[in-house]
Amino acid sequence: MPLCPCGSGLRTVRCCGLEIGSVPPAESTRHLVPLVERAVQAHRQGALETAERLCLDVLELAPDRPGALMVLYQIRRTEGKLAAAEALIRRVVNFDPNNFPATNELALMLMGRGALADAEHHARNAVRIAPENPQAHNLMGMIMTEAQRPQIGEYHYRKVLDLAGGRDPILLANLAWNLKNQGRMEEARALYEESAAAAPDVRQTMLGWARLEEADRHFDAAAEKLDRMDAQWPNDPGVLLSRAVLLGRTKHYDQALAVLDDLARLSPDGKLGPNELSEQGRLLDQMGRYDDAFVAFAESKRLAAELSGNHYMDEVAENLIARARSFFSAGRLSTLPRAGTRQDVAQPIFVLGFPRSGTTLVEQTLTAHPRIAAGDELPLIADITGIMPRMLNSPLGYPEALAELWMGDQRAGLDNLRDWYLQKVAQMGFIEARHAWFTDKMPLNETHMGLIALMFPEAPLIHVIRHPLDIMVSAISNHFTHGFFCANALETAARHYVRVMDLVQHYRAEMALRYLPVRYEDMVDDQENTVRGMFDFIGESFDPGTLKFHENRRYARTASYAQVTEPLYASSRFRYRRYRAHLEPVIPILAPVIERLGYTVD
Amino acid sequence: MEPVPPPRASLATSVPVPLEEVFTIAADYERSGKLAEADRLLGYILTVAPLQADSLHLAGIVAFRLGRHAEALERMELAIRHGVDTPLYLRNICEVYRTLGRLDEALATARRAVELSPSDPLCLHNLAIIHYERLEIDESIACAEQALAMNPTLPGAHFELAEALLLKGEMARGWDEYEWRFQIAGAAPLMPPTDKPQWDGTPFDDATLLLIADQGFGDVIQFCRYIPWVAERCPNLAIACAPEVGSLLRQLHPTLRTFVKWEDCPPYRAFAALSGLPRLHGTRLHNVPAPVPYLRADLARTKHWKDRLDRLAPPTYRRIGVVWAGRPTHNNDRRRSTTLAAFAPIAALPRVALVSLQKGPSADQAGRYYGRAPLINIGAEIKDYDDTMALLECLDVVVTVDTSVGHLTAAMGKPAWIMLATAPDWRWLLDRADSPWYPTVRLFRQSVAGQWGDVMSCVAGALRERFEAPTTE
Repeated sequence: MPLCPCGSGLRTVRCCGLEIGSVPPAESTRHLVPLVERAVQAHRQGALETAERLCLDVLELAPDRPGALMVLYQIRRTEGKLAAAEALIRRVVNFDPNNFPATNELALMLMGRGALADAEHHARNAVRIAPENPQAHNLMGMIMTEAQRPQIGEYHYRKVLDLAGGRDPILLANLAWNLKNQGRMEEARALYEESAAAAPDVRQTMLGWARLEEADRHFDAAAEKLDRMDAQWPNDPGVLLSRAVLLGRTKHYDQALAVLDDLARLSPDGKLGPNELSEQGRLLDQMGRYDDAFVAFAESKRLAAELSGNHYMDEVAENLIARARSFFSAGRLSTLPRAGTRQDVAQPIFVLGFPRSGTTLVEQTLTAHPRIAAGDELPLIADITGIMPRMLNSPLGYPEALAELWMGDQRAGLDNLRDWYLQKVAQMGFIEARHAWFTDKMPLNETHMGLIALMFPEAPLIHVIRHPLDIMVSAISNHFTHGFFCANALETAARHYVRVMDLVQHYRAEMALRYLPVRYEDMVDDQENTVRGMFDFIGESFDPGTLKFHENRRYARTASYAQVTEPLYASSRFRYRRYRAHLEPVIPILAPVIERLGYTVD
Repeated sequence: MEPVPPPRASLATSVPVPLEEVFTIAADYERSGKLAEADRLLGYILTVAPLQADSLHLAGIVAFRLGRHAEALERMELAIRHGVDTPLYLRNICEVYRTLGRLDEALATARRAVELSPSDPLCLHNLAIIHYERLEIDESIACAEQALAMNPTLPGAHFELAEALLLKGEMARGWDEYEWRFQIAGAAPLMPPTDKPQWDGTPFDDATLLLIADQGFGDVIQFCRYIPWVAERCPNLAIACAPEVGSLLRQLHPTLRTFVKWEDCPPYRAFAALSGLPRLHGTRLHNVPAPVPYLRADLARTKHWKDRLDRLAPPTYRRIGVVWAGRPTHNNDRRRSTTLAAFAPIAALPRVALVSLQKGPSADQAGRYYGRAPLINIGAEIKDYDDTMALLECLDVVVTVDTSVGHLTAAMGKPAWIMLATAPDWRWLLDRADSPWYPTVRLFRQSVAGQWGDVMSCVAGALRERFEAPTTE
């Protein structure tokens, strides 16, 4: 009797291998209802073994009984068996899509493990089930904030404020975190103050507030918050990590490392987690202990992959790129229409590049210009590739769905996609009347450069180029999920990078693009000329203030934020030389692109 | 080790074929263009007899024709070592050396072939070619003349002489010699067999004169300037041409009829190749007709492309049209073409945008360009010469190797900066930066064979001067 690998305790055929057709009709298992009631009762009274036994018995006979599924879900979740818990709660939702509590639980679980797209799907269902329920909107607020759509998240948080009729301190702190992510630091600070005044002992609130102060370069204020927390919650892992980050930013590397050592000692297994290891690696890097730093980075990556279960989606990436190559050919493109250009709204500037190639630096520079708004990493192009078949009424996926543009009723299809994008941007609310442009710096949008050029044929495409080995050093020292989780290992990061660069080469050979490669190294060595070149390319006048991008008070949400708040230093160029031996395995993979870009390996 | 099974002449026989016979079959294959088959058979022979000189030599020729130049050279050098100064080997290896740009070795070998076989006009013809390539034009003429003294009907030598004379600007004799071009072995015939005469320049207005837009597109653009001159003598004109140049040619004469299939051609009294018109016209250096612009862009298309370029290129930047490679099947393409990467000195100029007009297999280099100046790969959207002409109207200057785009730009009276290999095509003459054929052409000549770096630097310097100077045009 094989038990389900998810760990639920049920047989596979009664759990993840359940066939809907094998579920008996509800009427035939009516006699089990009293058992479910006893299970609920036992669980409430803390008799977990009894509750568990009853649930397993009931679910063996009637695997769709929601009460038993819910109780077993709670037991497994308490035990930390998250895969089992998720499978059980998901089954409740599948059998009863209008079950709000279960939908809420599932969305929270998914958000907790970073499956934001899936979480968003269920959060939206929660709003559909209960449009006036504050928790439904709270879910959307949390998930959209985490999914880097803070403007949408803000709407839902404010909806909660309206519906709940009060100013719940936790909600205020959540909204504050959201606003911090939009760079609206003063508003965020005021909300943290209000929240902390109403509920001074909430750990998450204080931690978020400390992080706000750190991100806003109010290091003393951040330290003061952390001191207070330390007194109240000594040895709290979150506080210790924030302390280490703060000490690192203020260049107290030894002390920061010591804090991380404390953190390791305090953890049950004596080891650091992925985020802590990354921070440790960065500190060691700053201290010139490169070999130690690399060991920390590599272990961080290994652990993150192990914990999340995320690995590079090799075949999916290969398939998408092969299809894009095949579809976007000069011959086919000559037969496709292009979207027109809207004169009534600000226009996008796409800042393209591999994660950690310098896109944040370029965006901070551009958006220091008074006529350019910062859009940050907009997920909209990827969204469009998902909704395109529906919008173009196509049976095909992206990019083949663009074949619908040959149909008489879809000639304006690209205009519709363009308007969808622009409307979403408008909803985000970051564009002001003075702005003629806004940036979209979603990394790896270059994978969709063909689509972008069809939707926005006049949009400047600024592709940030950097020595591929430097990108690899950054990729190994930071966590990001872009590029089908390619950065979970050095080799897969290199492979995905080469795939995307080959695709960029293809697009550029097949299409007339408004494309400008900007070298990160030129931004360091020849900043003014490079920045002037970018503004010439865009068609905007040069503003000397853009050279002092580090004074741009806007907070960049991405991992680069700490670097872009400092002036340019040459030390970020050719950083790979310090890690040369560790990068040896990926040099043969990257060699063709290194040569194509005109770099060498020294 | 198992012996290599010998090839069989046909499936019907199972008797091993003697090597000599295999060689004969291989040679037949080579002559008939079945190179892969020849390669296979020669590979077999050389497995059995690795130093057999004739086979090494033929294998070298086959490898050369298959584009495996290094292997060709290796085999032919081995053949020479084991064939003891066979003039044929020396003559043929010359071409390999020439193709690879190893002109000193080519010259020494060609001379040795002449020494060994002083009465062979082909060896002298070969030497004439090497001298032309080395820009030793008088020596080239002398060799070609010696070859013709031995065999006055040797078309290749006549053609080589024509090219050398024309390059020196000696057009009277040059055009006459140039008429031999259709007699060269393997040259594409001008037209299907006909009983009609070649036009001799005599006017007539009661019948059709059939012109033929022969040779490459650059030649067509260069020589189509004579169409109005022809039309004054024979107003009923039809022209057989490739479809790509039809609309362009119709600009030259309002009632010109163009045909792309021989069977559609109307009855005619006489015919003339466009490339033969300079001879009939009596063109000399002092009277080259250069009525630029003699080709013009369509206004509506120009507006379309101007709008398109305005959207793609920085508004305040100078726009430089660039072409880095010609048609790869051109017999001189290896020398005349360069790479986009070689344009680096131009791409480093401030406030310029490169507009690629490149078509063909080399166009994909646009995808590998990471220079500082923005590159607009408009070539990906160009459909025909009408598009190209419209785009040329929107550019400040065109920098190109010796291609049809250079001719087109110049025919439109636009600034065309043409970069030439050390031994250029005859039409660009010697040692001058201008051209009597095109008043707006500026020539940049390679000083070292195969090296474009200096040329590009010169062009970049000249562009800088041009853009920094007050605008007068």
